Amino acid sequence: MLQRTVPIAILSLSGLILMLAYFSPMTTSWGETVLEWFNILAAVAFVLGAGNLLAVNLEKISSRRPGWAYAGITLVSFFLMLGFGLLKVGAVPNPEHPDLHFAGSYDTAASPFGWTYEYVFSPLTATMFAMLAFYVASAAFRAFRAKNTESILLLGTAFVILLAQTAAGMFLTGWIPEDSMFAFLRLDWMKVAITEHIQTAGMRAITIGIALGVVATSLRLILGIDKSYLSRS
Amino acid sequence: MNGTGNGTGNGTGNGARTNHRFLWISLAVLGASLSVFGTAMAAQASGGDAAQATVALSKSIGVWCAALLTIGILTFLYKDNPFYKVCESILIGVSAAYWMVNGFWTTLVPNLFGKLAPGLVREVAIPSLPVSETPGLDMALAFVPLLLGLMLLWRLAPKGGWISVWPLAFIIGTTAGIRLVASIEADLLAQASATIRPLVVMKPATPAGADGAAAVGAAAVAATVGALDFWGTVGAITGVVGVLSVLTYFFFSLEHKGAVGKSARLGVWFLMITFGSAFGLTVMGRITLLAQRLEFLFKDWLGLG
Amino acid sequence: MDTNTHDRQGGGGGGSFLARLGGIDRRWIFLAMGLSIAIPILLKLRFPEVPGPMARATFDAIESIPEGSRVLLAFDYDPASAGELQPMANAMVHHCAARGHKIVFMALWPLGKQMADATIDDVLLEFHPNYAYGTDYVQLGYKAGNEAVVKLMATNLPQQYSTDAAGAALSSLPLVAGVQDLAAFQLIASISAGYPGAKEWVQYANSAAPEAFTLVSGSTGVQVSQLLPYYPAQMEGLLVAVKGAAEYEMLVTAKYPSADKPELLAERLGQGRVRMGPQLVAHLLMIGLIILGNVAMIAGRSRGGAR
Repeated sequence: MLQRTVPIAILSLSGLILMLAYFSPMTTSWGETVLEWFNILAAVAFVLGAGNLLAVNLEKISSRRPGWAYAGITLVSFFLMLGFGLLKVGAVPNPEHPDLHFAGSYDTAASPFGWTYEYVFSPLTATMFAMLAFYVASAAFRAFRAKNTESILLLGTAFVILLAQTAAGMFLTGWIPEDSMFAFLRLDWMKVAITEHIQTAGMRAITIGIALGVVATSLRLILGIDKSYLSRS
Repeated sequence: MNGTGNGTGNGTGNGARTNHRFLWISLAVLGASLSVFGTAMAAQASGGDAAQATVALSKSIGVWCAALLTIGILTFLYKDNPFYKVCESILIGVSAAYWMVNGFWTTLVPNLFGKLAPGLVREVAIPSLPVSETPGLDMALAFVPLLLGLMLLWRLAPKGGWISVWPLAFIIGTTAGIRLVASIEADLLAQASATIRPLVVMKPATPAGADGAAAVGAAAVAATVGALDFWGTVGAITGVVGVLSVLTYFFFSLEHKGAVGKSARLGVWFLMITFGSAFGLTVMGRITLLAQRLEFLFKDWLGLG
Repeated sequence: MDTNTHDRQGGGGGGSFLARLGGIDRRWIFLAMGLSIAIPILLKLRFPEVPGPMARATFDAIESIPEGSRVLLAFDYDPASAGELQPMANAMVHHCAARGHKIVFMALWPLGKQMADATIDDVLLEFHPNYAYGTDYVQLGYKAGNEAVVKLMATNLPQQYSTDAAGAALSSLPLVAGVQDLAAFQLIASISAGYPGAKEWVQYANSAAPEAFTLVSGSTGVQVSQLLPYYPAQMEGLLVAVKGAAEYEMLVTAKYPSADKPELLAERLGQGRVRMGPQLVAHLLMIGLIILGNVAMIAGRSRGGAR
């Protein structure tokens, strides 16, 4: 019962309270309380993630698996950053309460935590995502093949958007007057037509489909039909 | 991005010694940067003009650190290497700690500990924490997320993993509850409403000029009232046809034959145009990210441009 | 297996040059992409931008609310997306401040708070030094919970944010004292890189009170497809990727220049236009690569057919 019935009851009750909160002012406050608890659990999930990181990397170091030195670097950087932040090392004092150390601000550039964010975390994250520009070029070269009508439509649209997004669109078709009968041949006109009508229509249909899926899945969970989350135990 | 199929692993012999040498060099460079920074921050504490000098020094060291880390990540494009792995390891550790620290100070301290022990939180961390009108009730209710949170952390324990299913069920139920109604409202009803629009679009009448005189003659004004907006009409019809045909394509309970099949094929064409446009927009986004990093390297680090 | 070796083997020995081109080492493609962005940056290539309908709609939406309105700016992004979104954020903050709007900053992403702080320092206080904390702007900071944060703010903001980011009670800040829910704002703007972001603002805030406030958003190119269905019925303005940022920057700086710091304003509110320079060359490279790949495929097929 503890491993199946109670979790199902918790799931159904929390889901029902939040659904009811939409429809009845009397139940709105219950929904707000449940949401506050949810937000606290979301913060606890960060602690769980950090704990998992510790477990995985400590295991890697203790068993001397290949690459264990990197696990050590991960843990050192984790504990340094954690110490800077949790202990508010070098925090800028709160002007109204300068005597209270933990009332200070730990995330300004003047503190070690803020410095690490500015000059370590931020550039690493940004560069990791910047690498995608190279991979998208490589993938476009290898994978985009005009083999049939559908792929030709996809590539043709991509070309129109790629040109229209830049000054090339103005260079190529900007000379066509906007109020002439050939205005539809302007790349910027085509881009607006594609994004605001065709792409919007396609994405609207996808959004409706996803919404139906979300409704179905949520109902299955709340009514206790779908119990896949219990398999974790 | 974890180097699969793109380089040698940490094997034995000369390759391993070379890898370890690079590793120690990388660590030495970063360690030197951090120790100089530490000295700079300590000097900053003494105040005065020295403080300004050390702030500039810490910024310079920071820019160099950021530049070296940026280049370290970019080296992966040539081949997987220890320098990249060091940078990746630092990123993993720092980001996990960053999220945990943020979650702790922004949510756990004010919203959980602030209700369980408001006096202590006010005394130590948040003196301006609002005084609750019902502290007893708040404290009692706060035990629920505290208990659920501890049960969630039990997931790390070697035994009794089923205990974490209770808070997981709460999280899933809450998410299902709020998403169900929000999806119906914003993604189903609103989208259907936006699709069902007049298919024939008329141009609005030309307004009078700002100076009160008619911008065009009375006859011209009369001519624009009720005039058909051709491209607006085409756009409206395209929108409706597009939504219906794509929905037909995703409807698999009917075999895609005959009229249904033709409609589904039209839907596929709409989807291809949709994805082609999405690709074009995605490329722009990715290129911008790289442009930003190269701007940093050229302008902030090397002082070019 | 070394992918680069596989790349070199892909086209086979001998045969036509074009067919072999299909198996080129991808590192050459990486180099070409790097150069196509680096050279325009070094040469400071700039091109004129013509504001499109979506950028104009966003500009008009912020212009249409009365001067001195209370607006909420949600910084739902991190440094990884700052290239596209920071120019939008800078322009939006300057636009709101130039209209005298009172700004409440918040973030659904943990790193969003830092992005907001940087924008406050670089734009708000730089060009509008008369803005005072507590009366003209407030920083609420980040809260964990994703869409649950928006949902709770929609009905009970003080329960979500009992204090601001620095720990001051909301009741002590005149701008937000007495604010009960999102209906107290005339405009909500989400500068969004993904989840949680603009979609959640539409689903949980706009749906809760559709007539209460105007909702606009700035989005990355990757995410904008998901937001197009909401425009313009549920979201009155939508800035699309760095091009939207560049167009919006043009509109804002044209109407609200800085009398005493024109060059600094051009620099801080010109990043979008700067980043459009490399776009032309890189986009042409992408088109060229796709065409080249298809030519190599056709050449390879005809070589195989001739055998």
